[in-house]
Amino acid sequence: MSLSIRHFTRTYAVAGGPFTAVDDLSMDVGAGEIVGLIGPNGAGKTTTLRSVAGILRPTSGHIAIDGHDLVSDSIAAKQRLAFMPDEPHLFEYLTVEEHLRLMARIYGVDDFERRARALIEELELTGKERSLPGELSRGMRQKVVIACGLVRNASTLLFDEPLTGLDPVGIRRMRETIVGRAKAGACIVVSSHLLHLVQEVCTRVIIMDHGRKIADGTVAELASRADLTAAGSSLEQIFMRVTGHDVEVGSSKSEV
Amino acid sequence: MLSASLYIILCSAKNRVRARLRRLREPRYLVGAIAGVAYLYFAVFMRIGARRATRPGAGPPPELFAGSFQGIATIVAGVVMLVLAALTWVFPSNGAMFEFSAAETNLLFPAPVTRRQLLIHRLMRSQLGFLFASCAAAFVITAPRLSGALGLGSVAARLLRAIAFWVLFVTLRVYSSGVTLARARLTSSDPRMRRIAWTPLVAIAAAVTAVGVPLVRSLSSQPPRSLRQTVARISELTATGAPRIMLAPFVSLVRPFFTDGLGSYLIALVGALAVTAVTIGWVLWSDEAFQNGGDEPAQSREGRSSVPNAPRARVIPWRLRLTGRVETLFLWKNGMQTLRTTDLMTVLPYAFPAVVLAVVGATARMSALGARGPAVGFAVASLLVAAFCALIGPQMMRSDLRGDLIHLDLLKTWPVKASAVIRGQILWPIALLTLFTWGALACGTVFSAPAFPRWTLAWRLSLSALAFVLAPALIAAKFTVHNAAAVLFPAWVPTGRQRPRGLDAMGQRLILFAGVMLSLIVLVGPGAIAGGIVTFAFLRLIGPVILVPAGLVCLAIVAVELALVTEMLGGAYERIDLSQVERSE
Repeated sequence: MSLSIRHFTRTYAVAGGPFTAVDDLSMDVGAGEIVGLIGPNGAGKTTTLRSVAGILRPTSGHIAIDGHDLVSDSIAAKQRLAFMPDEPHLFEYLTVEEHLRLMARIYGVDDFERRARALIEELELTGKERSLPGELSRGMRQKVVIACGLVRNASTLLFDEPLTGLDPVGIRRMRETIVGRAKAGACIVVSSHLLHLVQEVCTRVIIMDHGRKIADGTVAELASRADLTAAGSSLEQIFMRVTGHDVEVGSSKSEV
Repeated sequence: MLSASLYIILCSAKNRVRARLRRLREPRYLVGAIAGVAYLYFAVFMRIGARRATRPGAGPPPELFAGSFQGIATIVAGVVMLVLAALTWVFPSNGAMFEFSAAETNLLFPAPVTRRQLLIHRLMRSQLGFLFASCAAAFVITAPRLSGALGLGSVAARLLRAIAFWVLFVTLRVYSSGVTLARARLTSSDPRMRRIAWTPLVAIAAAVTAVGVPLVRSLSSQPPRSLRQTVARISELTATGAPRIMLAPFVSLVRPFFTDGLGSYLIALVGALAVTAVTIGWVLWSDEAFQNGGDEPAQSREGRSSVPNAPRARVIPWRLRLTGRVETLFLWKNGMQTLRTTDLMTVLPYAFPAVVLAVVGATARMSALGARGPAVGFAVASLLVAAFCALIGPQMMRSDLRGDLIHLDLLKTWPVKASAVIRGQILWPIALLTLFTWGALACGTVFSAPAFPRWTLAWRLSLSALAFVLAPALIAAKFTVHNAAAVLFPAWVPTGRQRPRGLDAMGQRLILFAGVMLSLIVLVGPGAIAGGIVTFAFLRLIGPVILVPAGLVCLAIVAVELALVTEMLGGAYERIDLSQVERSE
């Protein structure tokens, strides 16, 4: 199993007392699987991804990448991981090519030149190799972040809103990239509010709300669940039903 | 627009105060606030009270405030202002007057208001900060007897000083913004834009020439024997003719600080305000001219900020190797940051030989003339620069983990050893500051020949070598302590460009400063003691040369300690909670 999460809980200390962002989450994602992590704002998706990426420490529970525990064996676990956040955080003083080189050095990429060239072409960054992040559009910066994640052979890829800022061509390429990496054996988790993207590319969907997992399965499995049959086969309708928003939407429509 | 500006300023101030009061519920801010209030009470109000209590017996203002002193001090301060004004063209600030928040850019720029109104709004927005800084400066810095010289009570005198500081701060800020604006157009393709941009630079250059040439000529032909003589000569040469005219605006700006009565203060204040008004007018006018000319600097066209310390995509002949230690990776990364955000690569090839030539030439001339006074001055100045680099530099230069806290979410995903990250982060700033310190020490060593002719060559060289050896130890220890603070108390280390403000933030800084100093003593103490023992044990046997091995002993001990400390900090780095990292207001 590529990614294993067991009884993961994460709380934050806030002025009003501890706030639980993710509560007792357990899930497994296997090689070749693309899992869509969806939920309303504040559901705990980003906290989950950031914890899996090693940015936040779990308050309790265990996260393992290819059997390596993220806390006790963090270097081995992180070596197998690539995290593409929604906000393109780059070093403002390093060029695109230098970012890729930096990642290659950190992760020990052997055939860097070939991989970098291919990625730059794949992500349409040709001609921008010597540009600083400040000279790039948001979409371009997002592509650089993705390139940094893909320049090494990670077994687990985490995408947080991967399509933010991308143009239509970029969106199509991104979808192909995600599917292609899964076919090559990577385990992929995609967090997104774009439910049509999730339905299209993901092999499985996990719906979270208020820090808890409230649904887990393929779209077909969810649609056939006894309490969701009325929702139909669309992920959007399933999502609305599971999170209890279908009633609100229906009532506001009737009011109009 | 004026009412809208006031509304924004007042609402922002009110909400900021609310937010600061609300955050006192968190212990880190509460502790900071207590420390800040205690500092203000003991450092300012207690002092004021104590002075008020002793005032009846204080007697008349001392001779220090006699007319001659005030005249000399005003002129010297004016010369300092002129030098500052000239240096602003060489080392520009960030042009704060033209920096708008994202909210201002998105909400006010599309609004039906003129560019001038926006700039005035921006200027008004910064006034609360200036007022606070002015009051702080007036209450902390004001010399105890100055209020007596003004013939006013202590608090009233301080308020008048605060106004003088406020005028000075506003003028300096507006001027530096204007310089940033003009500097970006010096190479404009439009001749009119170029003329507008070059005019203030030519004016400053003319002032520097008018004041500097006679000064340099006089000081080099007849070197003064002491600091008092130097000051008297500066005062004498700038009191008449072209230097006096050129210095007039700079002297006017500082005159309110050196008056001896309310009447003369008010007259001086009018002069200072006139300088401020002219500066604001110049900046608004040139901004309008540049805008109308449609002449945007190249980097703005590319969508980048025209802020001077924004990185530039210049080619640096330093490529990261694909294999190697984690520490050297950070050395490269932080090196690129410095080289891309400063003009070091451009300036150094010219500055280095120029400094070498100047130091060697000046030393030879001073030796030939037997001018010990200036030589002592240069030697002491060099040592002060070295001390500044070694002691204050690590606090200011934040191209280490403190600067990278903003990228912590990225760094934490990297599969690298935490202790190696910490060591790597401090490697570049240590190397750079050590180089600067060594440069200043080398200058001091050369100047020491004519400055201290009674000292033997062996003593001078040994002391110099000791300083060369100890400098990296001290700098490394300071960086380690500062970065340890960032790892152990990330919540107290500001990230990004914004600095947290308020009493609680001030208290936090005071506590951190005390902790840093204490840790530094603990870290350097054992090495210093061991080095001292070696010196005293063998000084009589070997002579001053023993200072070198003693310094090396100290360096070795500090190096071992630093390796151990950074290794221990690795665990703390792993446990850093990003949700506790300081957030901007």
